[in-house]
Amino acid sequence: MRGHLDGLLLAVLEPGPLHGYAIIAAVQQRSGGALELRTGTIYPALQRLERLGLLKSSWDSVGERRRRCYELTEAGRRSLAHERNAWQEFTTAIGSVLNPTTPSTGLAT
Amino acid sequence: MSTGVGMETSIGAAASGKRRPAVPSDPIDAYVAALADSLRGPSRTKSRLVAEIRDGLDDAVSAHTRAGVPYERAAELAVRDFGSPDHLAPTFQYELTIAQARRTARAAALTVPLAVACWLLIWTASHDTATWQLPRTTSLLTVHLVAVAAVASVLAAATLAATGRLARWLPTPHRLPLAVAWTGTAASIAMAIAALVLVTLSVVVTNWPLAVAAGALAAASHAVVASSARTCRQCARLPVN
Repeated sequence: MRGHLDGLLLAVLEPGPLHGYAIIAAVQQRSGGALELRTGTIYPALQRLERLGLLKSSWDSVGERRRRCYELTEAGRRSLAHERNAWQEFTTAIGSVLNPTTPSTGLAT
Repeated sequence: MSTGVGMETSIGAAASGKRRPAVPSDPIDAYVAALADSLRGPSRTKSRLVAEIRDGLDDAVSAHTRAGVPYERAAELAVRDFGSPDHLAPTFQYELTIAQARRTARAAALTVPLAVACWLLIWTASHDTATWQLPRTTSLLTVHLVAVAAVASVLAAATLAATGRLARWLPTPHRLPLAVAWTGTAASIAMAIAALVLVTLSVVVTNWPLAVAAGALAAASHAVVASSARTCRQCARLPVN
């Protein structure tokens, strides 16, 4: 789970800027409650992604409150696309082992 | 409930030290105080992090109370979901330690132009009078100061690169913050020596106001770098993950 936290955070920020609790709520909502985050772990992760230039942040007004909001940078969007490709390749490889619906080619020779 | 016990332990430890902060009665206040008390790092970065933690917990409590949960129970749930301070502190500390290392690296990098300026002043001083020549040991000392500053500059540049965008592709060396802390300490000592030498030389050189000004600048640089390096050493000693 921890290894995929960066990708999850980048993905929920793709539509637009969010603050910390809204990011947590978005991850839980998208996963249908299946992913239970220790919510405290996302704050240092957000700082690290900002340090790497994948996110940028600013204090914005959210209703009557002031919250630190994060948004993707261009580098963040590229990183998200890379994470998606890597995950797709991974699940395809695992899926083809777990569910061998088509016979493997190239190994019989 | 286990989180509450861990929290009381941390607060108790904090309260048993020399400083005896009042234990907040609100569970969210107590949690934030316990976590903040265990962290070291640049004050602005730490303040921002603690403010975000506080905001996140307040939002979580609000979400629970809107669903009809009483405040005390809502605070308990928010704290439980957040994770115990003992468990989270090393993760938070890692980012603060990196931030402090970067701050110390930037401060140490500033010593290079100062050291070069000192060298030029001393070199000029050795030639501005025919009757007085700079002692050979002072020249060697100056070369040594420039060498320390040059090493600090190279490590500072490498640190800023390795902990910035390059860290997307390269792992950050585990001992880098400690190396930066001790390099910063060495640079701060070099600046203190430079300040003493320049103030001493101001007695014998013709352009003494410039020597005094450069000495004051070196002393100010020493204060900034020494303070940052000290905090960096404290950060580097704390557990991170």
